[in-house]
Amino acid sequence: MRTILILIKKEFLQVFRNPLLIGILTVAPMVQFIIFPFCADYEIKVLHIAFIDNDHSTISQDLTHTFNASGYFISHGLVKNKKEAEKMMKHDKIDILVEFPHDFERSLYNNEPTQIAITANAINTMKAGIGTGYVQNIIGDYLNDFAQNNRPPQAPTKVSINISNVYWYNEQMNYKNLIVPGILVILVTLIGCYVTALNLVREKEIGTIEQVNVTPIRRWQFLLGKMIPFWILGISEFIIGLVIMKLVFGITVQGSIPMLLGCTAIYLLVMLGLGFFISSIADNQLQAMFIVLFLFIVFVLLSGLFTPTEGMPEWAHKINYLNPMSFFMNVIKKVVLKGTEVESLRTEFIVLSVMAVVINTGAVVSYKESSK
Amino acid sequence: MNSIEVHDLTKQFGAFTAVNHISFEVREGEIFGFLGANGAGKTTAIKMMSGLLQPTSGTAIIAGYDVRTQSKLIKRNIGYMSQRFSLYNDLTVFENMQLFGTIYKIPRKELKERIHTSLKELDMDQHANTLVEAIPLGWKQKLAFATAILHRPKIVFLDEPTSGVDPIVRREFWKLIYDTASTGVTILVTTHYMDEAEYCNRISIMAEGELKLIGTPDELKKKMAATTINDVFVKFVRR
Repeated sequence: MRTILILIKKEFLQVFRNPLLIGILTVAPMVQFIIFPFCADYEIKVLHIAFIDNDHSTISQDLTHTFNASGYFISHGLVKNKKEAEKMMKHDKIDILVEFPHDFERSLYNNEPTQIAITANAINTMKAGIGTGYVQNIIGDYLNDFAQNNRPPQAPTKVSINISNVYWYNEQMNYKNLIVPGILVILVTLIGCYVTALNLVREKEIGTIEQVNVTPIRRWQFLLGKMIPFWILGISEFIIGLVIMKLVFGITVQGSIPMLLGCTAIYLLVMLGLGFFISSIADNQLQAMFIVLFLFIVFVLLSGLFTPTEGMPEWAHKINYLNPMSFFMNVIKKVVLKGTEVESLRTEFIVLSVMAVVINTGAVVSYKESSK
Repeated sequence: MNSIEVHDLTKQFGAFTAVNHISFEVREGEIFGFLGANGAGKTTAIKMMSGLLQPTSGTAIIAGYDVRTQSKLIKRNIGYMSQRFSLYNDLTVFENMQLFGTIYKIPRKELKERIHTSLKELDMDQHANTLVEAIPLGWKQKLAFATAILHRPKIVFLDEPTSGVDPIVRREFWKLIYDTASTGVTILVTTHYMDEAEYCNRISIMAEGELKLIGTPDELKKKMAATTINDVFVKFVRR
């Protein structure tokens, strides 16, 4: 017990004497916390648009003006032909091109099917998708009005399109609510996995671990002495994060806070164990960094933080069963946003616990092997 | 009584044999020098004797314990100072000694007294609260030695303790070694400096993983018809 206490003391002394580490642990996450949610905003506020009007009718001109009024679009006016429009798109002058057919107005009055061509620059798929949605929405709205004004109400009209859910999907607050808790997850993961892996590998590099290995200390004592300080640091960061989340973004935890902290504590154990495991297979800090980075990217992409997991293929879902971050992400979503009751977290709780036991056992074993 | 007994000790890393069937004994309280060029296998041999590495074959009885089965007991009874400086640079002198002393389970009060006495002997007591990174290399080496013997081990392994240290500190360091040996502690030391070899009670010369020569400095000089250990080494290498 005394051995573990002195090891914890040693680790804390070292952490607080290392200005770089203090920076990584405090400033970096806070900056990330404050800046990231504003940048990782999927709302598209400016779209450059141009038109090809083969109809030159009142309706097509009127519709063109509606785009200017919407506030989302910067209109580059009428373009003579497709060739010129392509050139503009190639040079990134416009994001979206709308082309009216030459019998557009006549078809509308005769209730005949007609087609408006919407061309989007899909280099940025997100922008193209949302931009096309806006365009469809504006045209849809306009044509609905048109139909109501020019037709008797009983006559059904073919041009009635309703794509209003595009706007709902893009509601600004929605992203922050998801991204901010997601950053909490990233924060805890980085401290758990990255900082501990680098810490242990550093001792290997400078040779201090040899001096420790030659003492009668037991492996688990040494690992515990490393784990507890970073575990405490991780939980503290998480709590600070929750406070910032409340104060800056006004997001309150809907569910049980003790449950949330409990799951975080277990998730941290998984990440600490993973960090130690990595440090035992890596020879230097650079190697450890690459391994952590690789796993981190896979974890984040699969976790559903930036992309919905529902759209992933079956095999990705299967891999996700091994991804602790995706389970923790679920916990965060459920507790922070939905406020679900404790029982519904049973799966996540059990899976994370099992992962913690497995990975830490692996870490102790592989640490033993590596120091033979 | 022998405190180190090594028989046919061998370590292979894949196809490479780092230590090849070495056998020797070291008496209690003896200062035993391990000489040899870089890569001769000295460090590997020391690591096996201190329980850091498992031997491929052969036996080693250290302070009465078998390295294969009783490495924990060996670790409790030996001190070890590695080739490179390996105390924590970002801890103070006192914190380093406290850390290792506590790991060896020296009682709290006793430990404080020992650290105090030890620092006084080193003339470093005013630097107890200085960060280790801020003190000169020579002092660091003396400090590492003092930390390695804080728990009163029966045997101390020193792996090139004086490399890169100035002549004055080297002399002081050897005084520390003599003082420690005089209390009955066995010292096994590796070195590059041939003048230091003269200070040892007995020396051995290793090459290509094998123990080529062993004896007192005088015996070896006579055997090789040389006047200094340096000559012995040069003649041995040319042979």
